[in-house]
Amino acid sequence: MTELTLQALYSGLLVGGAYAMIALGLALVFGTMRLINLAHGELVLLAAYIAFEMERGYGLNALAAIPVAIVIVGATALLTYLAISRIRHERELNSLILTFGLAIVLTNLILMRWSADIRSTSNGWFQEGVVLGGTLFSMRSELLFFLIGLALIGAVHLWLAKTWNGRALRAVASNRAAATLMGVNPARVEAFSFVIAGLLASVAGVAVYTASVVYPALGHNLTVKAFVITVLAGLGSVPGVLIGAVMLGVAEALTATFLKPSLQELAAMVIFLGVLFLKPSGLFGRSNTVRR
Amino acid sequence: MRSLGRLLSCSFALALAGLAPAGADTFAIGSHVPLTGNLARVGKGMDEGIAVAVALANEDSKGKHSFELRRIDDETSPAKAVAAVERLAAEGVVAFTGGYGSNIIGPASEAADKAGKVYVTSGGVSPGLTKRGLKTFFRINNEDGYGRAMVGLLRDLGVKKVAVVYLNKEATVSIARYVERELKGAGVEVAMAEFDESTKDFKPVINRVKLRDRSEAVAMVGYENDYVGILRAAAVLKPDVKAMVGVWSLATSQMNGEFNDLMQNVYGTALLPYPVAFQGEEAKRFGETYQRLHGKEPDYLGQFGYVQTKLLIEAILRAHDKGVLKTGGLSDELRAAKGETLIGEVAFDPAGDNPNFAHRMGQHQGKRVEIVWPTATATGKMNFPGVSW
Amino acid sequence: MNARAVGVAAALLVVYVGVPLAFGGAPYVMSLVIASLTIAGIAVAWSLLGNLGGLVSFGHAAFFGVGAYTSALLTMGAGWPVLLGLLAGGLGASLASLLTMPALRLRGPYFALAMLAYAHIFKILTVEAEPVTGGAGGLLSIPGFPTILGLPLASKTGAYALILTIVIASCLAYAGLRRSRIGLALRAMHDSELATRIVGVPSTRLKAAMLAVSAFITGVVGAFNAHQIGFLEPDYAFSGNWTLLPIAAAIFGGYRTVWGPPLGAVAIYLLDQLVFKEFVPSGHGLIYGVLLGGMILLSPGGLLPLLRRWSPFRKASPGATVAHAGR
Repeated sequence: MTELTLQALYSGLLVGGAYAMIALGLALVFGTMRLINLAHGELVLLAAYIAFEMERGYGLNALAAIPVAIVIVGATALLTYLAISRIRHERELNSLILTFGLAIVLTNLILMRWSADIRSTSNGWFQEGVVLGGTLFSMRSELLFFLIGLALIGAVHLWLAKTWNGRALRAVASNRAAATLMGVNPARVEAFSFVIAGLLASVAGVAVYTASVVYPALGHNLTVKAFVITVLAGLGSVPGVLIGAVMLGVAEALTATFLKPSLQELAAMVIFLGVLFLKPSGLFGRSNTVRR
Repeated sequence: MRSLGRLLSCSFALALAGLAPAGADTFAIGSHVPLTGNLARVGKGMDEGIAVAVALANEDSKGKHSFELRRIDDETSPAKAVAAVERLAAEGVVAFTGGYGSNIIGPASEAADKAGKVYVTSGGVSPGLTKRGLKTFFRINNEDGYGRAMVGLLRDLGVKKVAVVYLNKEATVSIARYVERELKGAGVEVAMAEFDESTKDFKPVINRVKLRDRSEAVAMVGYENDYVGILRAAAVLKPDVKAMVGVWSLATSQMNGEFNDLMQNVYGTALLPYPVAFQGEEAKRFGETYQRLHGKEPDYLGQFGYVQTKLLIEAILRAHDKGVLKTGGLSDELRAAKGETLIGEVAFDPAGDNPNFAHRMGQHQGKRVEIVWPTATATGKMNFPGVSW
Repeated sequence: MNARAVGVAAALLVVYVGVPLAFGGAPYVMSLVIASLTIAGIAVAWSLLGNLGGLVSFGHAAFFGVGAYTSALLTMGAGWPVLLGLLAGGLGASLASLLTMPALRLRGPYFALAMLAYAHIFKILTVEAEPVTGGAGGLLSIPGFPTILGLPLASKTGAYALILTIVIASCLAYAGLRRSRIGLALRAMHDSELATRIVGVPSTRLKAAMLAVSAFITGVVGAFNAHQIGFLEPDYAFSGNWTLLPIAAAIFGGYRTVWGPPLGAVAIYLLDQLVFKEFVPSGHGLIYGVLLGGMILLSPGGLLPLLRRWSPFRKASPGATVAHAGR
């Protein structure tokens, strides 16, 4: 019994790390611009398919796809930002619908280019099992990307806290007008947050490709998951995103182990609504920007 | 690209039709398949088989009759499938072949019935489909055939504890329950684990099988992405099982090619071995034509699509010769047909089902897929116990 | 006034008589028109919620599915007549909207996604409640429409007339609400929610009412679809398309008007199925995304703010507002 629980916790932890990478990009943009990029999941998916292309089309290791993905996905993210910045009225809701439309376009483009077949890495190195302490099992890719994810999230956190650009981003998130007065160019900062989101999405995408299977419809699921975690974490807290993601991952793994895997999604949705209704600013959020 | 191939095969069929001398009859056959949407892959496979059947029919009837295939993409949507059937019926097709997914075939076949057209399919295994009293509905495979193959193999393997890991969609739930019933009836201990389509990490489930259920064999009922996930989790956790058994879309050349290491010694339903070795003239012709039209070897989807359409075409010709084609005699002709096909003997019962349908089990062995069950049709020896890790 | 009555009569004649005459012999086209009107109905409901309730929802599929299942189960299990089942479907969806009430306190994007969560939850519950709903297998052979006054509603023309009536009735109800005291109160509320709260207008209750109305309409349309197709399963009933297409249609057709969304629905659905599908067989769903994005970017001033401004019916001068209030 304890073995089962421990494995569930471990699996949940690793999955949570990957979720955190996926969610952080969305959370960053949300924090800076108060906008939800509904096409974020598709950015992650795009990176995953780029990894596929690198592996099958060019015979390279999926990891080599990361720089390529960063360029392409980063560019797409930037284009998204440019589109959003053209919106003049009711930015919050209009950008929601705009990115909704963008998500559909991306999903269909992916479908047209790579068809609906499921894709995943065929590289055995990624798939091999790694055992910790004799009882905790995982795929090598899962462990690898968990560690990469942690490093990346830590880097983003430090960047936000310590560097000028990072603090400029936090300033814009906190009070756009005041930040402008302090010499920050909000447009540049906002664009930057999108690019960083693209970077995170790229690594996350390759992680998903090496650890599980991808197909065009996956993008939407990833976006929903990312948003659930963003809400769970609350605005303004990067560690919050990691903790929220791990909590979600663990909740899913425990539900799958002890109840039914088919109830996983229900658990996630209920947690989501629960947090929205009971503690809308999230577990670690600062300001109360959710209620009317 | 693929659409080009489709276009070519369609034009090929049409060109052959155009070559028929004046006075010969042209039969238009309607088809609705999912070429986009969730079921795009399987729809395309079936469509390829259908195209081969039509092409071969045109070759055989050259000078006498010609067949024209009119297909519409139903986009994996029941509403569009119904609309497609209605449109084709209005255009005057003789009958329908196609359809994938019981939830789509249900309404579509009812629409065909309302138009008085025969509807043949291999994509709907749900028991409910043959309980509606439709005289125009026919299917060459059914869920029992898959279940029977799985149960038959597991019983012959002699395992005493089986874990059934299954997706919570209709067809998969149905088969999982069938397997549970039959195995329990044979005194086997069965543990059930249900998952849904959003499940990606199967380690929790497999871990439970490994530590709590301690099953000797795992029966998987799902689709490709589920199989990959389950097998990966098993490869990592290395439970003490002797066999991993699945149903459709598993013992295929595609899985062997894409995920070779993962698939070793895995069993799945299959009709023919891979590389395909066709025995008998009809089969060889089928294989060659398939290769010629689509540039690849046929898989089970293409085989089914071919068989269902070939039976339909043969019945059309017989009914035409007897002069009863236009007066609704096609159903009776189809029902009266008995004979060997690529998938074994097919004979339709009054409800339109093919009770003879019995699938076979294949096993991935190296770069090949061998048929290992039933032993009468085996092309290779079984590797048991054996798993990919 | 007379010219207007003539115009309305002419329009009614065209849609009720002209269309069946022109396309009645092409069941394929009629099927498409019926499907587009189904989307139109949801689009009306969605924009009603957005304009009158000030709430954008990304989960209307929830109400569609609940309405569909309610009607299917009542007509199959309890033998209810189908038309009554349609109404019951609407009521069922309204009741379901009560469950979503807590979300009313949330702001724009949060509300939208909370509704999405509800759609997922309802779908999963429907799958799990197998003894009642047939689970993942769904329900087959749902009863079709009856024959009323000699017109077989189960025929293409009959079903067309039925859904057309539903859509028109919904639009009229929407327009009526907008002109009524409730509409006035809602408009005032959106001008200044704080002020109206002080005056005593129960804003949350009004929003809940709009949500219930929107759910009702969507539920009726869902029920219609269930009886028209004759088959239902969770993936289909709660499919994201029932949310996506109406939104795209409403935005495209002119979200701030009453008749824009339904017209938009018919237009883009038929365009997609009859034109785009022929040219881009795989991935023509792209069009909806492009339309959505394009409208948002190109339409002058962007989407009309849901929380603040109003339809062309509202006069900009304060004098008129006072006159209204004085009525």
